[in-house]
Amino acid sequence: MKFDTPATTNPIDQLKVIGKPTDRIDGPLKTTGTAPYAYERHDVVQNQAYGYMVGSAIAKGRIASIDVKAAKAAPGVLAIVTADNAGKLAKGSFNTAKLLGGPDIEHYHQAIAVVVAETFEQARTAANLVRIDYVPTKGVFELAAAKDSAKAPEANAFSGPPDTAAGDFAGAFAAAPVQLDAVYTTPDHAHVMMEPHASIAAWNGDKLTIWTSNQMIAWGVGDVAKTLGIPVENVRLDSPFIGGGFGGKLFVRSDALLAALGARAAGRPVKVALPRPLMINNTTHRPATIQRIRIGAARDGKITAIGHETWSGDLPGGGAELAANQTRLLYAGANRMTATRLAVLDLPEGNAMRAPGEAPGMMALEIAMDEMAEKLGLDPIEFRALNDTQVDPEHPERPFSQRQLVECMRIGAERFGWSKRNPKPGSVREGRWFVGTGVAAAFRNNLLTKSAARVRLDGRGTVTVETDMTDIGTGTYTIIGQTAAEMMGVPLEKVVVRLGDSSFPVSAGSGGQWGANNSTAGVYAACVKLREAVAQKLGFNSEEAVFADASVRAGNRSVPLAEAARDKEIIAEDAIEYGDLDKKYQQSTFGAHFVEVGVDVATAEVRLRRMLAVCAAGRILNPKSARSQVIGAMTMGAGAALMEELAVDKRLGFFVNHDLAGYEVPVHADIPHQDVIFLEETDPISSPMKAKGVGELGICGVGAAVANAIYNATGVRVRDYPITLDKLLTELPQTG
Amino acid sequence: MNAIRFRLNGARLEEGLIPPSTTVLDYIRDHLHLTGTKEGCAEGDCGACTVAILKPGSTRWEAVNSCIMLVPQLDGCAIRTVEGVSGRGPLHPVQKALAEGDGTQCGFCTPGFVMSLFAVHQNGEPTDTETIHDVLAGNLCRCTGYRPIVDACKAATAQSWVEIGDSAVEKGRTNYRRDGHYFIAPSDLPALIAALAENPGARLVGGATDLGLLAGHERQVLPALISTAHVAEMKAVEDTPHQIVIGGAATFADALPLLDEHFPAFGELVHRIGSRQIRSLGTFSGNLGTASPVGDTLPCLIALGAEVELASQAGSRTMKVEDFILGYRKTDLKPGEVIAQIRIPKLRDTESFAAYKISKRYDQDISIVLAAFRVTLGDRRPTDVVAAFGGMADRAKRARMLETELVEKGWTALDDAEDLLAADFTPLSDHRGSEKYRRIVAANLVRRMHLEVTASGVPLRLEVL
Repeated sequence: MKFDTPATTNPIDQLKVIGKPTDRIDGPLKTTGTAPYAYERHDVVQNQAYGYMVGSAIAKGRIASIDVKAAKAAPGVLAIVTADNAGKLAKGSFNTAKLLGGPDIEHYHQAIAVVVAETFEQARTAANLVRIDYVPTKGVFELAAAKDSAKAPEANAFSGPPDTAAGDFAGAFAAAPVQLDAVYTTPDHAHVMMEPHASIAAWNGDKLTIWTSNQMIAWGVGDVAKTLGIPVENVRLDSPFIGGGFGGKLFVRSDALLAALGARAAGRPVKVALPRPLMINNTTHRPATIQRIRIGAARDGKITAIGHETWSGDLPGGGAELAANQTRLLYAGANRMTATRLAVLDLPEGNAMRAPGEAPGMMALEIAMDEMAEKLGLDPIEFRALNDTQVDPEHPERPFSQRQLVECMRIGAERFGWSKRNPKPGSVREGRWFVGTGVAAAFRNNLLTKSAARVRLDGRGTVTVETDMTDIGTGTYTIIGQTAAEMMGVPLEKVVVRLGDSSFPVSAGSGGQWGANNSTAGVYAACVKLREAVAQKLGFNSEEAVFADASVRAGNRSVPLAEAARDKEIIAEDAIEYGDLDKKYQQSTFGAHFVEVGVDVATAEVRLRRMLAVCAAGRILNPKSARSQVIGAMTMGAGAALMEELAVDKRLGFFVNHDLAGYEVPVHADIPHQDVIFLEETDPISSPMKAKGVGELGICGVGAAVANAIYNATGVRVRDYPITLDKLLTELPQTG
Repeated sequence: MNAIRFRLNGARLEEGLIPPSTTVLDYIRDHLHLTGTKEGCAEGDCGACTVAILKPGSTRWEAVNSCIMLVPQLDGCAIRTVEGVSGRGPLHPVQKALAEGDGTQCGFCTPGFVMSLFAVHQNGEPTDTETIHDVLAGNLCRCTGYRPIVDACKAATAQSWVEIGDSAVEKGRTNYRRDGHYFIAPSDLPALIAALAENPGARLVGGATDLGLLAGHERQVLPALISTAHVAEMKAVEDTPHQIVIGGAATFADALPLLDEHFPAFGELVHRIGSRQIRSLGTFSGNLGTASPVGDTLPCLIALGAEVELASQAGSRTMKVEDFILGYRKTDLKPGEVIAQIRIPKLRDTESFAAYKISKRYDQDISIVLAAFRVTLGDRRPTDVVAAFGGMADRAKRARMLETELVEKGWTALDDAEDLLAADFTPLSDHRGSEKYRRIVAANLVRRMHLEVTASGVPLRLEVL
């Protein structure tokens, strides 16, 4: 189905199932521990052996020699694969460093061998016997030091150009009576999803199956095939349940490749999980950024010039963190520029993490907006409202499809009690606490990607949806089920959803908050076809047929839906494919974050007291799962604001705190009550579902709202995340 | 027979083939294929591996981290994994509440949450917000934002209890040997001391919440272990007229009621030392014996003037905890010796005790600075002060200069707190906190102590909102 004109009324608008706060249909599987995750799929193939990864102990250099004799002779060992005997391997399109290194080493804990044995203990013991001599070479590990050597990265499908400009930024900024010129930094972040990467691989002749934990099945199939040099038809990936991803499982990682290589060498199925302590340096992370933001405004508060430059680093051939991109769209201003620069660093691979670009970008921009509002003597909400734009500021002929940023701010302000806020920093004291509130905008683009699905109707009236779409905790099973139920006029219990198998039609996959809208639109398209087939089979005019109450009816005639498939299952398959509506219109999601904090006067301990997000993100397909997505994102944003930071060993080039004890994420007691409000919105430009994404919107801006609240509480402006106690304490106002 | 006996999800089981340093998690997942229980971190931090146990002789369910618990520790216990909560029957109230309350997203942490909540639900504990936070402190979630889980916990208690007719099997004290590796579990102090003398290469293990990391996180094999867990003389926690006696095998959970009663600030700290899972197995003496510079009980024990009694074949000897700590992870414990008990003098009427833990996150975190004070108040001034700090040096240590000046000059010495601390401490900078932060916050905590013991009388604590 081609989607090239705005949606009109369609069966989804009935909202009998869609839009309801339905419990997730996979909930009982998860609370009983019966949802199968990759590493524990003992039942999918017999005779599984265990693979244990050996990771490089240097960040850069080469392996002078690798001695596997002792390991090979160890009890239970079936095979050892290194670059020496792995055969010719290419690099996946989505990988920056090779998944199996050697002799050249590109980063710390890069996989350099897999030891396969009968038991896990034997594999691990033997892995410790592999002797490796390295020749380390000097690497570059510090972004601040490498910043001046950074270059403009090549543009790709997601990035836009590295340099953008409209009007005369330099002139307008110089002439602006009120100016801000400040530098902000964000550290490297780890996804640390709860489930470590894991795969089981089995060969059947030249056909390879990998049971894995992966967000983007088709990308994964392509990269496994490319890496191994085998046809894509010979690769199957299966990933029905994923213990969190946040971008860390967008790509095939070493667990999948090592399992495949180990299985080939051992001649039997092999399972590999990345141990948590190896995961952080072996896999990807969100790269650190240095961001310079300049804003010039007239005294009335109108922005006349806005510029955002960002620097990040990655391995050679890697990509930049696109932290300036939202600044092209978020606020008005005739004169503007962004610049994205990329330095070469020899740290582990930087890549996408929840809301890549906007998450760190909004952490900086929205502090800058708070600072600028203060310089202008304006309320931060009024300042943002004053500079709202309903069109793409670089291309005023391109309107936003929907944009309710100011409404989000106003409604949030009312709900949060913003009018009671004392704007003077450091002026509210409750006992031992400095108390303050902060606000920030939330912004994340809505991306459109082709997505396909297959729908089957059987003789019992059961509708089965098959698509390689994944559910990474987002609620995909449920919203896809709701979509099919709505379209086919059956209760949710009559829908079976099967996901994550590459033998199913290719979907959008989970990433970039594009999953919900695109994958349900793909199911919509397939259901439209199924409706036509059913109508034809039952002798209805498909234009007139109404699908409701498990029946099809037109005029006085009504036939049970199951009747259509009484003799033979009816199968329909289609994809949603987009025209140029995303060129004609800018599609984005908007929100406002409100945060209240207390800061301890003696220790600078920060306690979040209240959090509120107001979101305008198209139709909300399931308010319950959408709310969960947003509050989870707010929590991750709070972590980024206050504690999350990969500490770089600048001498040896690795992340020091590479486990869950060292990389602190918030615990229960750190997170207060969180409210979420979704504004009424349908966006007919986005898809027939009229929905957009929310899962990443929720994290964008939270960090800045926390930072702004801390500033309001204490008068201390920290521009260097995370806002740890030691950055605050020495600057706190003197108190009695 | 050389086998460990326990009850698993209601069924009696004997196990005699597993290497003794196999973790319970690896055992149930890889050997028994009970895969509902997950591995998230392998170091007792995330709680995805949580299972519930009844210890021998106990009827109270306790959540524990199976990823750092060793299989021989199960001897005599009843254990429930997520598979044993509802089986194929209807969902247990906590499972239902989590499923219906959207308390699960990716679901990987969920079985651990279920088991933490299961233990509470089965015990019939109250579920006020404070208790729930305590119950869930050891379960990390990266998806949900936590509050739906808290709400689910409240919803679950409104539903009826489920009969789980387990009882622990028998006294667990099997000396378990397999392929030359052993886990000896003596049942009294003479046997323990004898075992130590006979096996000089063996390591002592209490609850394995520290040692277990070597098995889980570091994937090491631990061939020779001697457990203190079943040593009768060492299990008790006693309230005597002048002191609290904590046996060398007593867990944090065992000691908490008396700490809460006599030293509330210490009690609160022990709540934050580790989750319930950790406190169910981790021992006081283990925390002391590890002698980490950020071991949270150490400054408290030093400040309170606690003594440690060490037992060996040579007899027993007693010393002050502060003399027992010799350096970075170094104590005066001699080969063949074991910490038999820790004795904490009760406070006199003129004495106050305060303790503060400063960390990045509220629970499950290593302290940046930990301060503990015992102050004797005379006429508006301190007549005796013991101030001990963790995170400020290579060991938990007293601030002698500060103590002296506070007694000699009274509270005016607070003005110089930072300089006085500098005489005894040169803290390090690391990613948890800078040297400067540690210095300033330590001095501020001295001032906070002053406020707390003099003016307000109100404990100044970090509350959960």
